[in-house]
Amino acid sequence: MRILLDKFSKSFGDVRVIEDMTLEIKDGEMLALLGPSGCGKSTTLFAISGIHKVTGGRILFGDRDMTGVPSQERNVGVVFQSYALYPHMTVADNIAFPLRIRKLPEAEVKRQMEEMANLVHIEALLNRRPAELSGGQQQRVALARALVRRPNVLLLDEPLANLDAKLRLEMRSEIRRIQLETGITAILVTHDQVEAMSMCDRIAIMNAGQIIQIATPQEMYRNPRTAFVAGFLGSPPIAFIDAVANNGMLTVEDADIRLPVPPNAETPPDGTPVIVGIRPENLGRDGDAPVRGRVSFVETQGRENLYDLTLANGRVLRSIQRVSDDVSLNDEVEWRVRSDQLFLFSQNGERL
Amino acid sequence: MNASRNIAEPARAPVGAWAAPARVRLGWLNSSKGLGILLLMPALVLVVLFFLMPVVLTGVFAFTNMSTATGITGGAYQISPGALRVLTDRHGMGDLAERLGQPTYVVDDRGLAALEEMGIDPGIIAGLRRQYSGETYSSRREFERDIRNLPVRPDTRTVKRISEVFSRSLGNARFRSSTALIAAADAIDPDLTEEEKEALTATTYTGWTWTNDNFRRLATSRDTTRVFFNTLFFVAMTLTLFNVGYAMLLAITTHYIPERPAGIFRIIWFLPRISPVVIYVLLWKWLAWDTGFISAVLSNFGVRPRNWMLDTAANAWFFVILINGFVGASMGMVIFASAIKAIPESLFHAASVDGAYRWQQIRHIILPQLKWPILFVTCYQTLSLLTSIDQTLLATDGGPGGATEIWSLWVYHTALNNYAGNLQYGLGAAMALVLVVIGIVLSLIYLRLFNYNALVAKPRIEL
Repeated sequence: MRILLDKFSKSFGDVRVIEDMTLEIKDGEMLALLGPSGCGKSTTLFAISGIHKVTGGRILFGDRDMTGVPSQERNVGVVFQSYALYPHMTVADNIAFPLRIRKLPEAEVKRQMEEMANLVHIEALLNRRPAELSGGQQQRVALARALVRRPNVLLLDEPLANLDAKLRLEMRSEIRRIQLETGITAILVTHDQVEAMSMCDRIAIMNAGQIIQIATPQEMYRNPRTAFVAGFLGSPPIAFIDAVANNGMLTVEDADIRLPVPPNAETPPDGTPVIVGIRPENLGRDGDAPVRGRVSFVETQGRENLYDLTLANGRVLRSIQRVSDDVSLNDEVEWRVRSDQLFLFSQNGERL
Repeated sequence: MNASRNIAEPARAPVGAWAAPARVRLGWLNSSKGLGILLLMPALVLVVLFFLMPVVLTGVFAFTNMSTATGITGGAYQISPGALRVLTDRHGMGDLAERLGQPTYVVDDRGLAALEEMGIDPGIIAGLRRQYSGETYSSRREFERDIRNLPVRPDTRTVKRISEVFSRSLGNARFRSSTALIAAADAIDPDLTEEEKEALTATTYTGWTWTNDNFRRLATSRDTTRVFFNTLFFVAMTLTLFNVGYAMLLAITTHYIPERPAGIFRIIWFLPRISPVVIYVLLWKWLAWDTGFISAVLSNFGVRPRNWMLDTAANAWFFVILINGFVGASMGMVIFASAIKAIPESLFHAASVDGAYRWQQIRHIILPQLKWPILFVTCYQTLSLLTSIDQTLLATDGGPGGATEIWSLWVYHTALNNYAGNLQYGLGAAMALVLVVIGIVLSLIYLRLFNYNALVAKPRIEL
């Protein structure tokens, strides 16, 4: 079902957390609300689920205005960060709870509960209590309980935050599989850009109660609207250096660097101070613009090495390269930047 | 090897000899076990003196017939009219009783010897010995007439003194030991059997004795049934209506209202608990007196003023349960409220989006998770209500007419504050013992009912 937030605002007391936010989630789409802690992404999720009342604006499910509807009647499925399983109920009772509350016939409850347990692969655990389950198993139960009522929308609040690295990888694909199988509209709240990029159809990146950009993961990575977006996506992250436009080139005076203006940006007038963003994969052995510096840090990641390159003016660029033995710590090197992959931002972070 | 060991030994020996006794002397203090016992000693002594001893003594007293009449030290053997009645009625020894009770005068050598010591005229003594030795009189007048008829003719005063010496009556006689009692009885009736002697010593003993009678009396008395059902009614009503029911209501309502008013509301319900019992109950009495608040208000509507608390049995129960319940509700409220607060907020959020309205949240989320606090409060308050006495004592003192006499109050009235003045310690102790047994049995039933083992079972976590 299509979800629409129309000029939605939310404040707690005097603190305005979200102001005039408009966001549309398409039917069957999985959208990530990505942003740092305190940006309002969980608040948005609680508003959609009806747990928090909105201060202003409307929330629409399809064509129905849900703004004043209590959460009990919104038919949303929520997976909480702590899973919020009922500790005194068995797994079966936990999954069946939303159906029993709706007073469905017991045979129907049992049938749907088992169907959902099969979908998330926990058939064997139905008689256990949450305390007897591992984190990943609890996660699956929480998913089953959220999905069993066939909700209008599935809301996932940092669902992977409490899992260890291996389980996180496994559950990432599991959640996506289940979402695709059921075709449900889903919203994933996360601060982890890898989760957002790997699981979702689109990402809405938020900062300080505002949506900065909505795009597919690929588009957002290739074409960030602001320096904040560029800095939030990608691991290891993008590096920024200050430069000045000069005769159609970007110069970093005190580091003796001259970079051509990338084709994705318009040439700024001479003397304009700009911020250049260079992703680590675009600095290396092949490229067109030379950059000199000292290797100040080497981190081995197995297949690749991550280098910190300290420029003459003290600023640091990052480079990720195939492992090789010819570069070691404190070497003076001259590497190259792929200038067509640079991003150009104004002083206040807007893309040029 | 041997040589070197021999050389080494003398050098080591003094150190060992010096160290070893020191270790023996203080070693137990260096272990946590030994030091722990030492540090616990004062507490242990206090526990034994003021907790264990009273309990044990109650158990001991329960099997005695101690009362104000018997005293708590030993007694003597007294042939009282009461003892003689018991001898006649219970042991069928009417003959002996009659003779023990009647004045008897026997002219025997013991009396004659006593006369000699008193310095009575030897002529009189000789006359008595010659004429009446071995005679027995059951009337003083008859005996004195015979004395006057002696040839010496003693004056009336001497006659009285003489007859007194030969008095062998046991009525109201008091003996320090049972042998003295038996010897005296033998003098009157030398044919007493062993059984009769035993019955005599038992009935005339004035001190306390070991007995099961207390429990027999409790088992057969009609008061027991009445007081038992009074207590059952009192505990059940106060517990379900207030200590658990009302406490739960307060905890849940304050959970759903904002923090500040909730806090104020809870403090109000704490007042009965923190105010002194006497003042608290006096306020209730003032409310219910015939010149009190209720009467004053209702008199405006033409209702006759009366003591509402002691007016009828139903009224008395109403007030007793209210007074005790308001005191008890606060504890349950605090325990339930904190237990509800311990439930993660996300569970309520989850329940909301799962479609559970407030009432269903209470029913499916709060109450099941409050199983253990409910058990605790029920168990604790049952025991404290069973033994609670102060509020009821001050409010109705068991009245009107024993309508609100509960077990603990009954114990108090029997053993410590009796209208008749005969405090029956033994019976009271037996009643108290019954209360202790009931308490223990109830605790065991509660634990079984709430499946204690399942509650403390370890979760089987699999990762």
